[in-house]
Amino acid sequence: MAALTAHAGEKLQENAADGPLLEGKDISVTFGRGTEAFDAVRAASVTLYGGEAVGIVGESGSGKTTLARVLVGLQRPSAGEVWLEGERLYSAAAERRLPRSERWKTQMIFQDPYSSLNPRMRVWQAVAEAVQVWHNLPRAAARVEALRLLHTMGISDDQARQFPKSLSGGQRQRVSVARALAPGPKVLIADEPTSSIDQSAQAQLLNLLRHLQSERGLAIIFISHDLGLVRYLTSRVYVMQKGDIVEAGETQAVMEQPQHSYTQLLINSIPGR
Amino acid sequence: MSEIKPLLEVKDLCISFRKGGGRKLPVVDAANLSLNRRKAVGIVGESGSGKTMLCRALIGTLPRHGAGIVSGTVRFDGQELAGAPERVWRGIRGREIGYIPQSSLAGLNPVLTVETQLVESITAAGSLSRQQARQEAVALLEQVQIPRAQQVLQARSHQLSGGMRQRVMIAAAIAQAPKLLIADEPTTALDVTIQREILSLITQLRQELNMALILVSHDLAVIEESCDDVMVMYAGASVEAGPVAALSNAPRHPYTRALRVSRVDRAAPGQDLEAIPGDAASVGSWPAGCRFWPRCALADEDCRRDPQPALMPAAQQLSACIHAERLSELEQ
Repeated sequence: MAALTAHAGEKLQENAADGPLLEGKDISVTFGRGTEAFDAVRAASVTLYGGEAVGIVGESGSGKTTLARVLVGLQRPSAGEVWLEGERLYSAAAERRLPRSERWKTQMIFQDPYSSLNPRMRVWQAVAEAVQVWHNLPRAAARVEALRLLHTMGISDDQARQFPKSLSGGQRQRVSVARALAPGPKVLIADEPTSSIDQSAQAQLLNLLRHLQSERGLAIIFISHDLGLVRYLTSRVYVMQKGDIVEAGETQAVMEQPQHSYTQLLINSIPGR
Repeated sequence: MSEIKPLLEVKDLCISFRKGGGRKLPVVDAANLSLNRRKAVGIVGESGSGKTMLCRALIGTLPRHGAGIVSGTVRFDGQELAGAPERVWRGIRGREIGYIPQSSLAGLNPVLTVETQLVESITAAGSLSRQQARQEAVALLEQVQIPRAQQVLQARSHQLSGGMRQRVMIAAAIAQAPKLLIADEPTTALDVTIQREILSLITQLRQELNMALILVSHDLAVIEESCDDVMVMYAGASVEAGPVAALSNAPRHPYTRALRVSRVDRAAPGQDLEAIPGDAASVGSWPAGCRFWPRCALADEDCRRDPQPALMPAAQQLSACIHAERLSELEQ
């Protein structure tokens, strides 16, 4: 791994002045016990600097989602630590859950926008709830802030009054982004956010994520099995296979000169190649 | 070309859901498709465009989903299938037209072994004994390149990976050597590496068995890899159809063009993708005239007037855009 991380060295140096924003150090996650034990993630270390977009790529079962869940505090690691802005956020030794006071800093959007929104809440309410919880605002002010966030995601007031079922997959995913942004997080983790939405909506969502990163300086971890998406959106990438990070580096370099046979296989599998 | 009788010809097909009180909700209202023997056509479109309903019309399962053909024709191998009774469909479905559904998990019965389900597909054809059918099942699994076929026969669907399940579904679909194989988003839920394997398997089987293929996908790149022709659907209608190369080099419908240019490989990192503005027209609220006009840069008054424009020859393909000749204006 030492050689691999040196690969991405230069870019890292530029941002390294401030130190990493988010760091996962030697994270392992084991599910089950004894002979049933299964290592979902093995000693994976990832680093995210302020304002950058980093990809984690791999297939189902590679451990990428589990690793992401550790980074946002949804899953306690079996070993290892998560550091945010130079402070330890979460570790294997910690209490079961990430302390409430820390949870707003990292937010996540999920693969399936159909199941991640409450079907009985109007769209604006789903976002206003998050605003109220994190900013302790009165209801009316939370509503105004929710509508503002939804606007920036291209959701009109009219659409905000609907229930999620009346919205398209792409619209629902943009609502999820608005909700994730409500607490003003430092890191957004997007787990296969485009895999269940149509292609025309995919381009809209990718543009939006890219603008959040490039214009508002939001650091993004983008998880996908599709290296084509990762190539477009991220500057560095980690490739995971069966729980291990097998390759890491600048996205362009990894795409042009993959060092690991599995990375090569993923590249060859991009449709249209 | 014109003297060759197509294997399948769908003309101006309209499909509606039946709603309470005799009301109907149209989901497909101008599907057109022509497919010659041993050729492969891709159907591309977004969710709600009607591609899955069109597939169901081609295997006679619309009534099971509360829908039916309202008008139009489906000619398959010299026989009219629109409005055909279930008795006719029983001779077509599986025997003449094989079908791979969107979700392999839903397609397999979780409590039955692979053997039970495959043998069922095989014996549906007629006169094989159980022992012969079992041998046939092993041969089928080997044909879809499943290693350790004997073991897999005894497995239930939850014991198989997504890719393996999809191979079993393909084995069932080709069991009776149909003339046409319909694969509805066969790789949507699969990893990219498995997707690649499944697509090459389908292509290989098509050649071995001399089958024609309808491959449904929301991904134009997948279709361009595996098909001769492509038909693009938007909001229940065929909007462009023709050879894959023609549609990829010089699309004649703004929607086809938009599908191509919005792909991530068409922009450099740091550049915006050329996204299609707005949202796809949803079933029940299609606009008048061309259904793509609210999202189209070429749209004018003529586009907003009913009836919806029909497919007309444009260059080497058919396009339903009345401004098909002006598409190059979008490149500036």
